[in-house]
Amino acid sequence: MFTATCSRLSGPGVRSRGRLAVSLFLGSGSSSWSKVVSDAEKIVGYPTSFMSLRCLLSDELSNVAMYVRKLVGSPHPLLSTARGFVYDSKNNLQMRGLIVLLLSKAAGPSQAASDLLPQDMVSGIYPSQRSLAEITELIHTAFLVHRGIVDLKQWTVSDGPLKDMQLGNKMAILSGDFLLANACTSLAQLNNTKVVEIISSAIGDLVQGIYYENYSYTEQENVHAGAVDIASWEEQTFLSHGALLAKSCQAAMELVKHNKESQRLAYKYGKHLSLGHKLNSDLQPFVKTKVGEPLSFSLSAAPVVFHRQIVGQERWRQELQQATTLRNQMDYPVLLAAVKSEKGVSSAMDLCCYHSNKALEAIRTFPSSEARSALENIASAITKF
Amino acid sequence: MAAPWWGQCRRLTNTIACTRYLELPRCFSGRAVCLSAPSWNFLPREERLPSTIQSQSGLVNFKFSLIRHKLRTLRPTHQTCCCRGTHSDAKLKDPFTLAQRDLTSLYDDIKKELFVSKDELKYLCDYYFDGKGKAIRPMIVVLMARALNIHSNRAGDLLPGQRVIAMISEMIHTASLVHDDVIDGSDKRRGKRTINEVWGEKKAILVGDFILSAATIALARIGNATVVKVLSQVIEDLVRGEFMQLGSKENENERFKHYLEKTFKKTASLIANSCKAVSILVNSDPDVHEIAYQYGRNVGIAFQLVDDVLDFTSGVGKLGKPAAADLKLGLATGPVLFACQQFPELHAMIMRRFSSKGDVDQAWQYVLQSDGVQQTSFLAQRYCQEAIRQVSMLRPSPERDALIVLTEMLLIRDK
Repeated sequence: MFTATCSRLSGPGVRSRGRLAVSLFLGSGSSSWSKVVSDAEKIVGYPTSFMSLRCLLSDELSNVAMYVRKLVGSPHPLLSTARGFVYDSKNNLQMRGLIVLLLSKAAGPSQAASDLLPQDMVSGIYPSQRSLAEITELIHTAFLVHRGIVDLKQWTVSDGPLKDMQLGNKMAILSGDFLLANACTSLAQLNNTKVVEIISSAIGDLVQGIYYENYSYTEQENVHAGAVDIASWEEQTFLSHGALLAKSCQAAMELVKHNKESQRLAYKYGKHLSLGHKLNSDLQPFVKTKVGEPLSFSLSAAPVVFHRQIVGQERWRQELQQATTLRNQMDYPVLLAAVKSEKGVSSAMDLCCYHSNKALEAIRTFPSSEARSALENIASAITKF
Repeated sequence: MAAPWWGQCRRLTNTIACTRYLELPRCFSGRAVCLSAPSWNFLPREERLPSTIQSQSGLVNFKFSLIRHKLRTLRPTHQTCCCRGTHSDAKLKDPFTLAQRDLTSLYDDIKKELFVSKDELKYLCDYYFDGKGKAIRPMIVVLMARALNIHSNRAGDLLPGQRVIAMISEMIHTASLVHDDVIDGSDKRRGKRTINEVWGEKKAILVGDFILSAATIALARIGNATVVKVLSQVIEDLVRGEFMQLGSKENENERFKHYLEKTFKKTASLIANSCKAVSILVNSDPDVHEIAYQYGRNVGIAFQLVDDVLDFTSGVGKLGKPAAADLKLGLATGPVLFACQQFPELHAMIMRRFSSKGDVDQAWQYVLQSDGVQQTSFLAQRYCQEAIRQVSMLRPSPERDALIVLTEMLLIRDK
């Protein structure tokens, strides 16, 4: 599939970008997806590789790169995140920015703002909206980095040298903070305090989401069992995976003074697309069998949560026990079979389609355009398994 | 709020107000200080202050005692003596009493901004807003705001936005402390175990991020795009300052410049830009903004220089961290950089960030044998003088005078 994409795009410059976008869904429905994305990228005019070179080429981050080199071979998560900047696919770099740009274009020129001139637009998008798309990516990346901070007390000597972990943490904190600080100053330059407020609140949501990302499925379980249901899964997933995109889409409308209704719809599109996307990637291990790769999935994946809700706490506990090996390891194929035996997977698929439809519905009133079609294609692609 | 420290400072205030001149820091007690000309050349051009001391910088060596009488009072007397007469009541000039009325609900207001529904995250966010901090930044901000309001003929209460900026200054400061503690691996802060020590590094970083996001939300709600720009610069400076701390410079002149720039970014930028922000809200004159900014900048640098001195002179535990903490972190602060002039042996240690066995003890000895501590204190005094010179350009008011008194107090604090 890489070759297919790369031959469509020309030159080495776009090559990595193509790859980044192609495997948004870890290889799922990839041929239709890659077409959708590469078409969409052409519509917004610029390459979507914002991750602003300005930041990557700064003294500060090259300083980090120097230190990170010392970590090669250690298991610090910063390494794999950093690798992701260059060629990894799992982290969905750039997608949020692309969607912000497409929505900006789909919404069209500003009717209300007198200081915005149509001739300032490039490929139908205002410069401020491009900045916003970049800011969204900066924030997303900052938290990818901060997610990878390691708790040193839980680190045992057998895991590797503690010194590496300390250095890795230090670099992760600094580079994450650096990206966030850059996002803050760029945000201030947009000269719209309402947008600053919306994006800041998205950062707050994101932090809360990450803080409790694995909380309800591990720590909480011991305290009060059975508190997990799909409603709280959606709430939690919105914070950790949806709020940034939803609010960035809303802010892209506010930035050029589109009315409240457009803002609401843009928000809705971003929200449902993110939830559908997360459902799609949670479903992957349950619908695809990859030969040669060890099967593994999170116990907070949507199909598992549905399953727990369906079978009840007692049976779930038994199934967990049966799937736990003597060495206290999880036998994922056994657990997978248990989940597949009930309606968890199909319920998650239904929910994915629901969110896809909601996203489509949100942009229905936008004027018909190639940007809107691209957004529709993206929203439809998340239901391809 | 921070009772012991306040109490102590109150006593100091009264002393200052009564004696009307600054008691020199103990470290100056009569000892001759060699202040050689090259040390001033470390300062970048804009760092050189147009003070009486500056004019003497051409002297290669001079005895501290010779200029002692000039330092006896930091304020330019010709500008302040008139108002001194009008406010004979020492209480009026007590910065703590004056600021108190605007700060009583500070921590409650901050906790309201930190809106989270989940218990543990909420607890961690509130953790350092327990009223035990010195709240020095909000104090400077509200005093500056009131002084500026009077200067701008605007009687009455603080503007709502100014109050919010005071709050934000403490929030940004705390958020950066939480991250610094993880970076430095500190286990104690303000007499408490740090968040990273108790709850782990991952949660600590998220708490810092959350406090910062709450601060930016409050900032945005003020609704002034210029104010947003001014304060977002602070966030960038804090991170860049932290990055500067990673590297050392080979060249000595550059090293001192690097140190002062780092000090500005890590400490002074927040105070300077907060002061500027409250001025923007009440006055449109850029000259006034500059006065507010320069006061904050100079006070901020002086504040950190004194902190760096106290790292060598203060008894264990007084600052809430062990002595020589900076050396142990591999950081060469003012006293070490000055000492390096007398003891070039320090150069190699600075470059290897005191990482070899015995480096910290050896460096500590060199610093105490040198004039490093005195010269750093002296430099701090010069920044204080400049801060006072700046703020004296504002129309006289109790708050303006309180800022002057506060500047003097920052210099002679011992914790």
